[in-house]
Amino acid sequence: MTRRGETKPVTDSPVRENREQDTDNRLHPWLAVSDLTTGYADVQILWGVSLTLEKGKLTTLLGSNGVGKTTLLRAVMGLLRPWAGRVTFLGRDLTRNSPHSRAKLGMVLVPEGRQLFTEMTVLENLELGAFSKRAHAHYRENLEKVFAMFPRLAERRHQKVSSLSGGEQQMLAVSRGLMAQPKILLIDELSLGLSPIMALNLFESLTRLKEAGLTMLLVEQNVAMALAVSDYAYVLAHGKIWLHGDPRQLLKNDDIRQTYLGL
Amino acid sequence: MVLNQLLASLTDGLLLGFVYGLAAMGLSLIWGVMCVINLAHGSVIALGMFGTYLLFSQTAWNPYLALLAVAVVGFLTGTAIYGAAVHRVINAPHLSSLLATFAVNMIFIGLGTAIFTTSPRNLDYSLGSLQIGAVIFPVTRLIAAMAAILLTVALYLFLFFSRPGKAIRAVANNRTAAELMGIPTSLVLASSFGLGTMLAAVAGGLIATFFPFTILSGGPYELKSFVICVLGGLGNPLGALLGGLLLGGLEGLIPTFMPVSWVPTVEFVLFVLVLVLRPTGLLGAR
Repeated sequence: MTRRGETKPVTDSPVRENREQDTDNRLHPWLAVSDLTTGYADVQILWGVSLTLEKGKLTTLLGSNGVGKTTLLRAVMGLLRPWAGRVTFLGRDLTRNSPHSRAKLGMVLVPEGRQLFTEMTVLENLELGAFSKRAHAHYRENLEKVFAMFPRLAERRHQKVSSLSGGEQQMLAVSRGLMAQPKILLIDELSLGLSPIMALNLFESLTRLKEAGLTMLLVEQNVAMALAVSDYAYVLAHGKIWLHGDPRQLLKNDDIRQTYLGL
Repeated sequence: MVLNQLLASLTDGLLLGFVYGLAAMGLSLIWGVMCVINLAHGSVIALGMFGTYLLFSQTAWNPYLALLAVAVVGFLTGTAIYGAAVHRVINAPHLSSLLATFAVNMIFIGLGTAIFTTSPRNLDYSLGSLQIGAVIFPVTRLIAAMAAILLTVALYLFLFFSRPGKAIRAVANNRTAAELMGIPTSLVLASSFGLGTMLAAVAGGLIATFFPFTILSGGPYELKSFVICVLGGLGNPLGALLGGLLLGGLEGLIPTFMPVSWVPTVEFVLFVLVLVLRPTGLLGAR
């Protein structure tokens, strides 16, 4: 495989990149969604949603089924056109940008239902994750990282995706996202359909990614687990942000405990 | 004697089969990548014939040099067709893209008829023939078969081992995911349509080096391409080539056993049988 990473210019080094982003971060949050309104055909789903992601933090978005979490992520990525509102990434207004141009800039979504390239091999999926020039420059090192994180994928790198178990496919979906050298990683339903052990496993990887400085937004059914690992949480209800704050504070809220934790 | 005759018919059919395969590859690529059945396929083949013919007869270019020009123009024409007729209906129900490409087909055939009329043309070009044993190979047909093999291998390597090729396969497999991974899917779709159109035009140009043709001549090749896509399955150029060979071989052999007019009947019975018994194609690609 070609590896541009070996000859990459100094200006592209991660250290320098981070410094630039720090400057950005003093002025703006990494991702700001403001007053986002959207829906499908004539059905309005989101009614003015605002949220921000801070650098290096893991933020969780909670909400019952059908409340618009996936719609919000799709709108944030540009898969769905916003009716009103803005999406700002590192201080740039990307509201009108195509999903692929957002991905190139470092906004990466691990979509609901994994959406892997099922006809292709594990390795090809990872290669395609690193499609953008920026990501391709870090192909080797990122590949080593994800293989270190999920050794199972390294073993199965030449297998077709359709032969993987559900858990392995979810590992691959997250890994493919990481191969894109994300500045923010949006994850839709990390643990859906996985065994508790596999889910725990993936949550542990998230914690490690956070420690490594990755900014993330997590949408998750398993509220207890999500709140345990996150730094900030938003609760979406009826297409609006209903509550937000420190996860430990939210855990004390009786409504949250009743609605999402069944306590 | 009978054996020799069989061998000659079979060789004839197989040589033609390579070119059928090449033409079908264009249809198969577009169909496989974006689920659009390109009904302008036949007229593009005919335009490839006329492109080669015009460059040869008007500017005295070597037909194979003319083919290179036809390839480039074919690619550009394909991206233009995609932009004008396909892109806006790419997510609409299939009927919309069928009608859109059919409209393109009618425009091409209408223009072609107006400019060139429907009287047959002939590329007055021959490279003689080779005799091996009892079988005679016209050189133009040999070159056409070799060009088809070369393009198939090139396309296969491109799709499976190059980054843009993998991007095409990714878009074919899951367009949304491809877009999310930073792949400019509209560009990939337009180029795939361009590539498919280019293959059809080049196949047409190759056919023109040994058969007479009119602007309507693409039609039968379009039908054959459908059969081949079903035989070979979508998404793999080798499948299309094998399907082409199978069809060509049959076309060579059938007339030695029954009247030529039975050829399409046998072909389409085969088509229906494969559809019913092995809907993913003989190679089982997709």
